Amino acid sequence: MTVHRRDVGEIEALITDRYLDSLLAVQPVDDDRLLGAPGFTVSAAVREISRRLSADLPRFHPSFRFEERLALRLAEVAAAMRLSVAAGGEGQPVAIRRITPVAQDPLVVLDDAELDGRVPPRPILIGGAVAASALSLAGAWLAWRRRTSPMARAVRAAHAMRQSGT
Amino acid sequence: MARRALWRVGAAKDAVPRLAHLDQDRPLVLAAQRDPARFDALYRRYLARVYSYAYYELGDHHAAEDATEATFVAALTNLSQFQERARPADGDGASTFRVWLFQIARNEIAGERRRARRRPLEPIGEMIIADPLNVEDEAVRRDQAREAWRAVGRLPGERRQAMVLRFVDELSTAEIAGVLGRSEGAVRVLIHRALRSVARDLKGGERGNGERGRTS
Repeated sequence: MTVHRRDVGEIEALITDRYLDSLLAVQPVDDDRLLGAPGFTVSAAVREISRRLSADLPRFHPSFRFEERLALRLAEVAAAMRLSVAAGGEGQPVAIRRITPVAQDPLVVLDDAELDGRVPPRPILIGGAVAASALSLAGAWLAWRRRTSPMARAVRAAHAMRQSGT
Repeated sequence: MARRALWRVGAAKDAVPRLAHLDQDRPLVLAAQRDPARFDALYRRYLARVYSYAYYELGDHHAAEDATEATFVAALTNLSQFQERARPADGDGASTFRVWLFQIARNEIAGERRRARRRPLEPIGEMIIADPLNVEDEAVRRDQAREAWRAVGRLPGERRQAMVLRFVDELSTAEIAGVLGRSEGAVRVLIHRALRSVARDLKGGERGNGERGRTS
């Protein structure tokens, strides 16, 4: 069987790749016979440059200031994403079945025969709007309750006094 | 199509590949998809790799930071769309998250290059032949490494990217194929030719230096 020139290039590339795998695994294979392509070798020049590049090319790390700044930004993005999910921004609309005269008691299980010929209940879709409004109100209330500034404490005290009628 | 993300060296069956850390990605990705705040672990794991890739490609710390930032923000905001496509047959450590992340990084770096071309702050020639090791002279006092990087830097675009991904970021050939959108065979040939080219280049350079040394 003859090996075409193109195939030779691909086989050489393959055993070079296997050699690089072993080199990057810190266990370089120096015996070409172990690379799985008898009759083919990784040239000394390729071995030499591969060793140099794997040993000498450094991996850079950005400054810690940048790292922490980006971490903070990602945390903000994550918080915004969580909020939008909680508000139903990325959720699926919820289908709620309307109680029809067919089943006045929601706990009654109907047979298929009883449902035959009757219009199935139309689902009511509720998007994120209601949930978002409720969440906003809850958030505003919580923020008001949790504020610990002197002004907030004074406002709360005045509010409490007004409610107690003193 | 699922790709093998970890090439197993047939000859060294007992070897523990240094790339085996990939198996830790899957739980982290799932956790981050459930709760975006958990993305921090993936960010810390890949920050240096993405930044290095950007720095080697752009040759400028600020540009590399911009590309890195854009990469991680895009990854976080699109994480819900990411799907793990590695199969059990690909091995325990197989993961496509790295491939996906570096695809984003590659796009962001290309965008950064385009922006740099539109508003060049320094001569374009300087930017194209970026030499990160020059900036790190104090940290990396290795003339040979600098020469090697210069030779890598002179390679055409995809060959250079493949070399950086292979030697600096230690991606497997299959992963690089995923990042560059090429077949594994094509990437193997790309790297093999790049290595021969760099070896020739360095040999010529060293011979030239030797001759200059003799004549001076």
